[in-house]
Amino acid sequence: MYNLIRKDLVLQSKMIIGLMIGLCVYLFLDVSSLWVGVVFSIAVAMNAVTIDEKSSVHILLNSLPYTRKEIVSSKYIVVLLLTVMVSAAIYVGNLAIHGEFTSLKNLLFMIAIAVTAISVMLPFCYKFKSSYLVTASIVAFGLYLLVVSFFIQDLNDRIRAFVEFLLTMQSTGAYVAFVASIMILYVCSGLVSFRIYKNKAF
Amino acid sequence: MKIIISNQSKTPIYEQIHTQIKEQIISNDLKPGHHLPSMRQLAKDLNVSLITSKRAYEELEKNGFIYSVVGKGSFVSDQNEEMIKEGKMKGIEEQLLAAIQNSKDIGISLKELQELLTILYKEED
Amino acid sequence: MENQNVIELRHVSKSFDGFFIEDFSLDVKKGFVTGFIGGNGVGKSTTIKMIMNLLQPDSGSVSVFGLDYENHEKEIKQRIGFVFDESVFYENLTLAELKEIVKRAYVKWDDSLFYDYVNKFNLPLNKKIKTFSKGMAIKASLTIALSHHAELIVMDEPTSGLDPIFRRELLEILHQLLQDGDTTIFFSTHITTDLDSIADYITFIHDGEHIFTKDLYQIEEEYAIVKGGLELLDQDTEQEFIATRKTAYGFEALTSNKRKAEEVFGEMALIEAPTLEDIMYYTKKGAVPHVQLNT
Repeated sequence: MYNLIRKDLVLQSKMIIGLMIGLCVYLFLDVSSLWVGVVFSIAVAMNAVTIDEKSSVHILLNSLPYTRKEIVSSKYIVVLLLTVMVSAAIYVGNLAIHGEFTSLKNLLFMIAIAVTAISVMLPFCYKFKSSYLVTASIVAFGLYLLVVSFFIQDLNDRIRAFVEFLLTMQSTGAYVAFVASIMILYVCSGLVSFRIYKNKAF
Repeated sequence: MKIIISNQSKTPIYEQIHTQIKEQIISNDLKPGHHLPSMRQLAKDLNVSLITSKRAYEELEKNGFIYSVVGKGSFVSDQNEEMIKEGKMKGIEEQLLAAIQNSKDIGISLKELQELLTILYKEED
Repeated sequence: MENQNVIELRHVSKSFDGFFIEDFSLDVKKGFVTGFIGGNGVGKSTTIKMIMNLLQPDSGSVSVFGLDYENHEKEIKQRIGFVFDESVFYENLTLAELKEIVKRAYVKWDDSLFYDYVNKFNLPLNKKIKTFSKGMAIKASLTIALSHHAELIVMDEPTSGLDPIFRRELLEILHQLLQDGDTTIFFSTHITTDLDSIADYITFIHDGEHIFTKDLYQIEEEYAIVKGGLELLDQDTEQEFIATRKTAYGFEALTSNKRKAEEVFGEMALIEAPTLEDIMYYTKKGAVPHVQLNT
């Protein structure tokens, strides 16, 4: 398991360094660090998926002494690890470039959005191919527009209000519940991916 | 020990090995107690499959030419006179049978063949 | 000891992509080399993938070293060395980088053995694997497969794409591996001449069906090619054959009952030992009688 995680980090080391440099550039340009963080986390996660995507690589990994459970869960751990790394980089970057402390609340929110998105994307990638993800997002976006224009016209406002609510949450209990529900979502996503991967043929 | 294998021959390879080792035992080129290479070594050296060397050794063992000790390998057995003679007799029989078949093919009678044999036998002396 | 099975497939069925294997059973004996033959698309790769647990059977059981994959997956795979017919490695890595990743997976990884093979095969350590030729890629696969003291070597078409010189070298390496008596080799091929000097048992598969597993001499004793004039053929005699090829000059047929053919035809027909290719060809021909009638 540790070896699989290590393998992912080694394989992606160049990519990660490149992304971190890109991240600093964005921070320098003073774009909202929250959204930069989300975008970069997802990009890193997608990269982690695509390096292992070829069926020949699955043949290799599954022929080595690893179980399918380990292969899937290591991927989830790596992606989470990378997301935390991105937020840490944002924190350090903001401190170094702008001399300001990023609020932990913002970072947490960034991680939450990224993890939620990744929770949906990973099972999708295990089931289909990551290249279909673009198609899927376009379809999802279309559906969203459809819903906004015909069914729930104030969906945008509702989401905004929900985000406001989350960001202004004060009680620790609410935070714990929020974090816990995100983690549960992530674990469930992992279980779904494992179910998909368990009987996959290569 | 000398073994030469023909890949063109119709004789199965295990039999070629069997015959050649047998001949060397009968002619006393391989002395009783001689340690034969392991089946796996022989297969590797002759570039034949393991089943080939295994079968050759099994045949030799069945006919009493060699014996094997678990964990130690295969050795040439003590050959008693009778067995060697028997082995040689068998060879003679085979060769005679071939001669008889050839004679029949071209219509040589038993009497003619016997005469030929007598002449040849005496010439050798 | 020598009659232990390293691989046992029992009544395995698997269907996917319009292809199926049904009630397939197979034993691979410990310490021997089993050659796995059959045409293209008859289920060789599928079988190998089931042995490696890359595919799970719909029903039936697969056991390796007497263990099942359900509970002993890692233990089994620690003891297997594998070579696939396609390159399964991260193409952007060099062999040295790949080694660093793979070696950590194996408890018994042996760096010195790895470098021995790298030198023997003249492989570049610092070139990306995607620049490797087909032959080099297979050598790299072999190097990885042989560097962790595996007890079972499973190879899918290892000799395709190799020049004859290396094919022979490979056979020598395999002979060397067999010396300890514990290593078992199972490999598929359609270059049947590779099998003559190394394979102890031949497993023949056709259309998802296990036709036989026999040692080479059993095949020689049971199967025969019968050649003769057309006047020898009638319905009864022809039924004895797996398949018959008729021309204006005579017939050629494969039988799996050599003794009976000798009794029936005696001196009237020529009875010869078949090559593995003959057996493959006639079995395929015999399996599709309808097509044969129409052509």
